[in-house]
Amino acid sequence: MIIIGEKINGSIPSTGRAIAARDEAFIRDLAIRQAEAGADYIDVCASVDDDQEMEVMKWLIDIVQDAVDTPIAIDSPNAQTCVDCIPFCKKPGIVNSVSGEGDKMDLVFPVIADTKWEVIALLSDDTGIPKSAADRLRVFDNIMAKAKEYNIAPERIHIDPLVEMLCTSEEGIAMVVEVMTEIKKRYPTIHITGAASNISFNLPARKILNQVFMTLAMNAGMDSAILDPLDRGMLGTIYATEAMLGLDDYCIEYITAFREGRIGPVKK
Amino acid sequence: MSIVKEIASAVEAGKSKVVGGLVEQALNEGIEPSVILNDGMISAMGIVGEKFKNNEIFVPEMLIAARAMKKGVEVLQPHLAKQGVEPIGKVILGTISGDLHDIGKNLVGMMIEGAGFKVLDLGVDVPPEKFIEVMKENPDCKVVALSALLTSTMPALTSTIKAIEEAGLRDTVKIMVGGAPVTQAFADEIGADGYSEDAASAAELAKKLYGVA
Repeated sequence: MIIIGEKINGSIPSTGRAIAARDEAFIRDLAIRQAEAGADYIDVCASVDDDQEMEVMKWLIDIVQDAVDTPIAIDSPNAQTCVDCIPFCKKPGIVNSVSGEGDKMDLVFPVIADTKWEVIALLSDDTGIPKSAADRLRVFDNIMAKAKEYNIAPERIHIDPLVEMLCTSEEGIAMVVEVMTEIKKRYPTIHITGAASNISFNLPARKILNQVFMTLAMNAGMDSAILDPLDRGMLGTIYATEAMLGLDDYCIEYITAFREGRIGPVKK
Repeated sequence: MSIVKEIASAVEAGKSKVVGGLVEQALNEGIEPSVILNDGMISAMGIVGEKFKNNEIFVPEMLIAARAMKKGVEVLQPHLAKQGVEPIGKVILGTISGDLHDIGKNLVGMMIEGAGFKVLDLGVDVPPEKFIEVMKENPDCKVVALSALLTSTMPALTSTIKAIEEAGLRDTVKIMVGGAPVTQAFADEIGADGYSEDAASAAELAKKLYGVA
């Protein structure tokens, strides 16, 4: 499982306050704790006004890279910002994100074409978030056609099928599971990602929903996720699910995570 | 770290991909095959068994350690044979008639092998006649290990021992028994020579019954 640590995001109130106060120690601590918990990438999202975004992004990326060796996921709704932040990064990371919307792919794909950078692509386009599986797969086909033009191999692409909240869905997660299954069938090496916590918006006891979603989504092919690596319950669910899916020989990854104190009950 | 110690720690950690190479390296350095076997692998499996008994490690960790040792032994075997290094002895092992459980029995087999024995694993649902036949073929075998997992198949332990007695072979071997419902008291009652409650203890018991512990 590829874990993209989500904590350094200005839309999280405590992180937003730290950004406003330019509290370097706070950001550094978040980077270190996420890396220690096993994050493969540290997501960095400023979530500030456009005129400040570049400055804040650079400030955040510099702190993270000074604190840990974990690569960065450059997270901005503005594709140009993502592109402009690439030179700040010491090693290839992930652009988070493009979609079928506007000129996002045209901005990002040429820049990462001949690099080791990976990219998250959302299955939305200028019509919004398609309602049916068929329409999302149509967006997917457009993305893959464009990626092919720039020679971006499927294994560098993380497709986010866009998980929507469960409480207003009439068919649970059936549609998104259909999309994930189909994508993985067409491109076995592609990554499928998503923000697990979207599923539980406006419902109580969200952790239960997030974890069960993760298990079902992994069963459908999700192998990358944007989440809080400090959430021991979620991490435990991920390791347990990988073992059950036969992705963890002899359960050694599971046992190791337990032994390192990253999953399971907190030892007193 | 000496190469033998490196082998031991690789076996202990279950690193089957590196053990073979390390054994070759040790042989190239001129270290005696028997030293590699005893100090590199058997002692590491002893530590693994001890940790398992103390609940410090889990079953899969024992499995991968045994797998790693197997890789090392594969490389070492021709050299051991050339030098005439023999296993400590043979152990006949099987799950008794009517019982199809083999996970525990296999673990016992691995740990006994890890202790330096040659294990003749007869599988599951083994009728008494089969044990007797293999005993006759291997008169040098001094320990027979019988496994039963169910209360309903425990009587087959009794009848297997009885059959061995009737075949006139009881004095040629020590018999050890084990399995979830089996206890020391039951082992005593049916006239077994030993009982162990887990795979690691079974390996120690086999050594004791062979008089090498």
